[in-house]
Amino acid sequence: MSAITETKVGQHYIDALRQRFPSSVLEEEWQTKDQVTVTVKVNSLPEVVEWLYYNQGGWISVLFGNDERSIHGNFAVYYVLSMEGGVKSFVVVRAEVDARTGEFPSVTPKVPACGWGEREIRDMYGLKPVGLPDERRLVLPDDWPDNLHPLRKDTMDYRVRPEPTSNVENYKFVNDACGETREIPLGPLHITSDEPGHFRLFVDGEDIVDADYRMFYVHRGMEKVAETRMGYDEVTFLADRVCGICGFAHSVAYASSVENALGIIVPERAQVIRSIMLEVERMHSHLLNLGLACHFVGFDTGFMQFFRVREKAMTLAELLTGARKTYGINLIGGVRRDIQKFEQMQTIKLCAELRAEVTGLVEMLLETPNLAQRTSGIGRLDPEIARNFSPVGPNIRASGFARDTRSDHAYCGFKNYSMPVRTKDGCDVLSRVLIRAEEFFDSIDYIMYALADMPGGPLLVEGHVYKPHKFALGFVEAPRGEDIHWSMLGDNQKLFRWRARASTYANWPPLRYMLRGNTVSDAPLIVASIDPCYSCTDRVTMIDIRKGKSTTVPYKEIERYGRERKNSPLK
Amino acid sequence: MLKLFKTILKTGEATLKYPFAPMPISPGFRGKPEYKPEQCIACGACAIACPSNALSMSANVEAGEHTWQLFLGNCIFCGRCEEVCPTKAIVLSQEFELAVGNKNDLFQNATFKIANCTCCEKPFAPQKEIEYTADLLKQTGMSAEAVEACRDQLQTCADCKRKQSMRATDKVELTGFMQKGNEA
Repeated sequence: MSAITETKVGQHYIDALRQRFPSSVLEEEWQTKDQVTVTVKVNSLPEVVEWLYYNQGGWISVLFGNDERSIHGNFAVYYVLSMEGGVKSFVVVRAEVDARTGEFPSVTPKVPACGWGEREIRDMYGLKPVGLPDERRLVLPDDWPDNLHPLRKDTMDYRVRPEPTSNVENYKFVNDACGETREIPLGPLHITSDEPGHFRLFVDGEDIVDADYRMFYVHRGMEKVAETRMGYDEVTFLADRVCGICGFAHSVAYASSVENALGIIVPERAQVIRSIMLEVERMHSHLLNLGLACHFVGFDTGFMQFFRVREKAMTLAELLTGARKTYGINLIGGVRRDIQKFEQMQTIKLCAELRAEVTGLVEMLLETPNLAQRTSGIGRLDPEIARNFSPVGPNIRASGFARDTRSDHAYCGFKNYSMPVRTKDGCDVLSRVLIRAEEFFDSIDYIMYALADMPGGPLLVEGHVYKPHKFALGFVEAPRGEDIHWSMLGDNQKLFRWRARASTYANWPPLRYMLRGNTVSDAPLIVASIDPCYSCTDRVTMIDIRKGKSTTVPYKEIERYGRERKNSPLK
Repeated sequence: MLKLFKTILKTGEATLKYPFAPMPISPGFRGKPEYKPEQCIACGACAIACPSNALSMSANVEAGEHTWQLFLGNCIFCGRCEEVCPTKAIVLSQEFELAVGNKNDLFQNATFKIANCTCCEKPFAPQKEIEYTADLLKQTGMSAEAVEACRDQLQTCADCKRKQSMRATDKVELTGFMQKGNEA
């Protein structure tokens, strides 16, 4: 989107880094005017990342490995830091990892936010983060062979799956509580819906002492598929399918990562259309979550009303793109579909209806005594924990941090618009609900503004020359927080590496701390409050640490108990 | 509370009578791709553009046939096929009720004859595509006779064309600018 100009944003971070670690910085390379990749010596990686994170106001956006043996003989690891202390830019810390030893020092002991990323690098590339406190698998299933690392270029064809090596689940759930607990075999997993996760709550009577959970039961291998069989344009449609709610955000993030890598300047009109659709997506997502908030506090009439009104947001998407979800209007270099006069008039009409209806519903929701009673002070995300784990979206904004990609790293149409950043200091479920309600109206404001002042001109630029091994970041503030993509182009009209990080990936790790100290009946509410890609944490196992007894309760039952608070399933 | 009841009363029935009444959809809705085989020239542009491999082309050289296939089960209704089709043979319709009782009903096929190269007699392109090229030439103002005259050229495969152009340059000295080898 932006070519590198004279004014490099964030140069002073690099200068300071060179001054602080004179012998560590090997190379610096600018992708766009506010994205820089610095290659450092692998042994100074933890210190460099820690210093940028805590001393310079950085936040970990994503970290990943890359099999660059075909380029220079080594693996590489990338730590993407979103710098938000004063000057806002992206600094990517890169280190090359020797292909023979595959070892690099773990950053997690210094910056906890790196935990999941390093576990994933360990799974996918077989690299060893030395000193990583948690060496369990993150992505790979228990029955996956030990020495097979899917994202290595020489590992396997994306169409094959190796024979299972184990018949039992051997994942250890972590329990920091003091006291005896037993390990419980869980039996077969029932993947009843598309995105299951497994929760284990360690309870003392009704109180949650600790919690652990496991995701990635339905890892779809999208990154591998994009690298091996799809062209650049086709991946925009795959990215649309990363998430059922914020798919368009992923599509835009992916497209802009490639555009940034090549310095393609997307026409103004296309950028505004992308922004409008991103806000339409936010509207339907926030209404969904507000509806769920009603549902989980037992206000089901409110749930029905929010979902009825949400249908208007879905109609809006269908009107503007031709599909309720998976909009499919992105290509590298712009969009495929214009907003015509008729559609513009309809959108303005629908937005006015939405504003009126949702205003009434939100008022009603806030007047419901149940809401404050059930959500105030519940599921506290402590600002200190938030700072350590780099969560995103309404989740972190409710803990007092003004992090919003739309204003921090303005992209698409938001460059010429000052998007208000909604923050609250409550740190609890209630604050997250309120933030979503406020942001909903901001989205309508933006759509109205953008439609009134649409720039003319073309929708798409074509005829790009794809240069091998160019790379850059693309980022979007999805409804649940920042979606960030990193793409490296290949020499065969396919991506060399594509890393897509959904916002929920950043929000899961601190969830454990949010659950602690709450009661069992609040658990569904807390989990729902981060608005996870969540339809089906298909079952919950409770371990009573005093009785040393475990019960597996179907998720429906826990959810029912959360709403009615009668007939505890634990008794 | 009273407000809530008011809203509920005012809204009335929010659900639709679907499937007993038609479902209203937006004018630009992207539904099932409608295919017109008579328009198709089997160029395969749609199969290349299709992100999900719902469209495919497969050649059966022995039978001299080229088959276009749409598998609706893979289709993501993105409309890339419609965008790249040079003859408007495929257009997205508004139809969305696509459930079938038998998986085979999701397949749609069209078979085209492959023309052989007049020179090497190997199969090389769909006959219809060649006819389409000839028709295009006529549209640009060439007379029917002139088009017929270059029929051979149209029906020659790329390999043979390359060889033919090589033959025309047989007499040209290619090594004029090369230095003589060191005799010593």
